[in-house]
Amino acid sequence: MPPTPCLRCREARAVIIRPKNRHKLCRNCFLEVFETEVHETIMSTKLFYRGERVAIGASGGKDSTVLASVLKTLNERYDYGLELMLLSIDEGIKGYRDDSLETVKRNAVQYTMPLEIVGYDELYGWTMDQVVAQVGKKGNCTYCGVFRRQALDRGAARLGIKHVVTGHNADDVAETVMMNLLRGDLPRLSRGTSIVTGSEASDIKRSKPLKYAYEKEIVLYAHHKKLDYFTTECIYSPEAFRGSARTLIKDLEKIRPSSILDIVRSGEDMATLVPPEVSGAKNPTAVARATEEETTGGCGSQNGRSSGGEMADMEKQLAADENAQSHETEIKLSDIQLPDGSVPLQKTTNKKTAKKPPQKGTPLGKQVKTQTMGKCERCGYISSQKICKACALLEGLNKNRPKTAIEVEIAAEDEEGSTTLMRQMERIQLTT
Amino acid sequence: MPGKELSSPCVDCHDVESILTVRSRRLCRNCFVRYAGGKIVRRMEKFRRQPKSSQYKLLLPLSYGVSSSVLLHMVYAQLERQRANTYSPTGFDLQVLVVEPSTISAFSPACEERFETVQKAFPAISFTQVSFHSIFEFDPNVLETLQEFAGSSFVDDPSLPALDRLEKFRRSITTSTSRTDVDNILLIRLVVAFAKASGCQTILWGDSDSRLAAKALANVAKGRGSSLTWQVSDGISPWGIEFEYPMRDLFKTELDNYANLFPEVKSFVIPDAPISENILTKNLSIDELMMRYVQTQGEKYPGVMANVARTASKLQASELRSGQCKLCGASTASAEGLTGGTTISEEREIPRFCLGCARSRPMLDN
Repeated sequence: MPPTPCLRCREARAVIIRPKNRHKLCRNCFLEVFETEVHETIMSTKLFYRGERVAIGASGGKDSTVLASVLKTLNERYDYGLELMLLSIDEGIKGYRDDSLETVKRNAVQYTMPLEIVGYDELYGWTMDQVVAQVGKKGNCTYCGVFRRQALDRGAARLGIKHVVTGHNADDVAETVMMNLLRGDLPRLSRGTSIVTGSEASDIKRSKPLKYAYEKEIVLYAHHKKLDYFTTECIYSPEAFRGSARTLIKDLEKIRPSSILDIVRSGEDMATLVPPEVSGAKNPTAVARATEEETTGGCGSQNGRSSGGEMADMEKQLAADENAQSHETEIKLSDIQLPDGSVPLQKTTNKKTAKKPPQKGTPLGKQVKTQTMGKCERCGYISSQKICKACALLEGLNKNRPKTAIEVEIAAEDEEGSTTLMRQMERIQLTT
Repeated sequence: MPGKELSSPCVDCHDVESILTVRSRRLCRNCFVRYAGGKIVRRMEKFRRQPKSSQYKLLLPLSYGVSSSVLLHMVYAQLERQRANTYSPTGFDLQVLVVEPSTISAFSPACEERFETVQKAFPAISFTQVSFHSIFEFDPNVLETLQEFAGSSFVDDPSLPALDRLEKFRRSITTSTSRTDVDNILLIRLVVAFAKASGCQTILWGDSDSRLAAKALANVAKGRGSSLTWQVSDGISPWGIEFEYPMRDLFKTELDNYANLFPEVKSFVIPDAPISENILTKNLSIDELMMRYVQTQGEKYPGVMANVARTASKLQASELRSGQCKLCGASTASAEGLTGGTTISEEREIPRFCLGCARSRPMLDN
C-alpha cells in the first residue's frame, strides 16, 4: 500500500490521524494546524492586548508545557507583543511535584521565560503531603483545588501580573460541563465553559487558550515537537463526579470523536440559558465571574481511582429531600426576597395549605441556587461566604494541629458552607 | 382482618401487606398506584376543567413502549374522572397517535392487532395510526430539507413508494449515532405535523425521568445543548407546539412496576429489548450509551440521575439568536465560526443546519 499523502499539503507522508476529525496529516502540517487553531481561538476571543504581561500557570505537565511552547511560537510568529512568564505552584507532594518542578525549571531555560514558584507551605503553612497525612486521601483534592486557585492569584499579584493562562484543554472543559450537569450545579454550568474567567476581588483574569484543543492532540503535539514534559500523574485521586464524567467522555470520544468539542459547544449554549438570577452575571458568555470555580473539582488527574463517596453523599441528600417532600409537611426555603434584599426565615408549612399549582418549569420543592459575592473576612479573597473556602479549610486543619505550628488565627465559627465541606470537617474532627 | 399480623405493612395505609419498595418505602398496590398517579395529576394540573371554549386538545404519541403506554393509562383515568362529573366539561380532549413501529424499525413487530387491543382498552378517545414515511404527506417541506441535508449521498427517486424513499435517505447515514439522531428528529417532526393537522396545541410525551436524564446527556454530547429547553423541559418547541413531559417525576423502573399491575396495559406493551452485553462501546449510538449510563448509574444513584433531568429543565429558552436550523429548528449559532474547532475545509459553508444536525450529516460522518 503506498503511503497516504498529507490531506493538507498533499506532499509529505501523513503520519498522524487527528483525533479531532480523523484527518491524515504530516508532522509539519499537524503542528501548524494545531498552532493555527489556538491562534484563531486567541484572535476570535480577543484574549490578549499588545504589551500585556501574561503568566502561564506551569505544572511541568503536558498541557501547560504545550501551552507555553505554543504561546511562545505564536507570540513570535504573529507578533502579539506579549511578555510571557511561568508561574508554578508547589503543592508539596513528594515524588510528584518536586520532580515536575525540575521540568518547569528546565522549561524556563528552554523558553527563556522568567519563573516564579509559590508554595502552599509558605502561603498556608501546610504542604499537601501534610494535609493528606491529616485528612486522608479521600477528599484531599478539594483542599488542593481551593488552595491552588488562591495560590495562582497570589503568585500573579506578586509578579504584578493581571492575566494568568492555564492549560485546561477541551477534554477538561467537556468533563466540567458533564460533571456540573451530573451535580446539578447551574451556576458553574453557566461559567465553566467561558474562555475567560475574571474575578471581581482579585482583578486577575484567567483564561484557557487551549479550551478547544483535544487532550490527545496535545500529547501528539508535545511528542512531535519533542517537548520536555513530566508525565507522572498526581498520586492522589480525583473526585467521583469528575471520574464518572471522565469515563463517559472517553466512551463518547470512541463513538464520535467530535463529541468532546460538541459538549464544549453545548456547554457554551447552555451557559446562555441559565437564568440570570442563578448565573449572577448579566452576560455570562463575555466574562464569567469565576470565583471559587474549579475549587471542588480537583486538578483533573488521570488515574480515575475514586471512591464514589461524593456521588453517594449527594444521593443520600437527594433521597432525604424526596422523603421530606413525600411526608405530610414540606420544609421549603422561601424564595421571596424582602425589600432590603434579605430572605425571610425558613417556614414550615402544612402541605395541604401550601399546595399551589406548580409553576411552569420550576420543579416542585426545588430551589435554584444563587450566589452573592463578597470578601473573605480573614484574608480578603473573594468569597460567597463570610470566610473563603481556603480559610474554612485551614480552620479545620489547624484545629487539629499542635499549637506550635499554627500560623493563621481562627475563631470557632460555623458557616453555612457547602455540605460536603462541612461533612469533611466533621470527619476530621471525628478522626482525632 | 382483625388480628392478622402483617409481616410488612404498607407504610402509607398500614392496612395491607406491601408488595414493592418505592424510593425506599414499602407500599401496597393501591398506595403505589395512587403515588404514581398523583405525580402525573400534579403535572397535568393545568389541564383541569375549563370552560368548553378554552378546552385543550392534547396529542399523546404512543410507541407501545412502557412509558407512553402507562402515560396513556394514567391520563385516560384522569379523563374518566373528569367525565364522571356530568356538570362540567372535561379540561381536555385527548387524541392518540401511533406511528406504526414496524415502519420505524425492521426489528419491531407489526402492530395491527395491538392497535385493535389498545383501542378497545380505551374506548372513549380517538386513535390514529400512521406510518413513518407518511411524514412526506404531513410535512411536505421535509423532502427538500432531507435532500439538502444529505447532499449527494441521497438521490431521491420520486417514482418509488414513500416507504422506499425514506429508507433510501435513512440508509445514506452510516453511523448509528447519526441515524438514531436523525430518526428522532424526523419522528418529532411527524408528530408535530400531525398535531398541527389535527388542531392539537400540546403534545404529551411519555419520557420517564430516567429517559429525560439520558436525553439531556445525549443532547449535550451531540452538540444540541440549546434544545434541552424543549427536548427535556416543558416548553414551546421550535414549531410552536407545546411539549409537555408529565412523566418527569417517575423513574423507568417505577413505570415498569406500574405496567405490571395492569393486565390491560401489559396486553399491548412491546417489552424493552434486553441490554446486550457484548456490543463494543464504539458501536453504540450516543443515545444508547447514555441510556445505559443512566440505567447502570441509576441503580446505585437514582436520585443523582433524576437530578440531571431537573437541572436541565431549569434552563430558560432564549430568543433565537441567529438562523433556524432547517431540520430541527434549533438556533444555528452553534454552527457558526467553529473557531478552534475544525479549521480545515469542512464546516465553512453558511450554516443552514445547527451544529447537532451538521454532525449527523452523511458526508461529515466520523
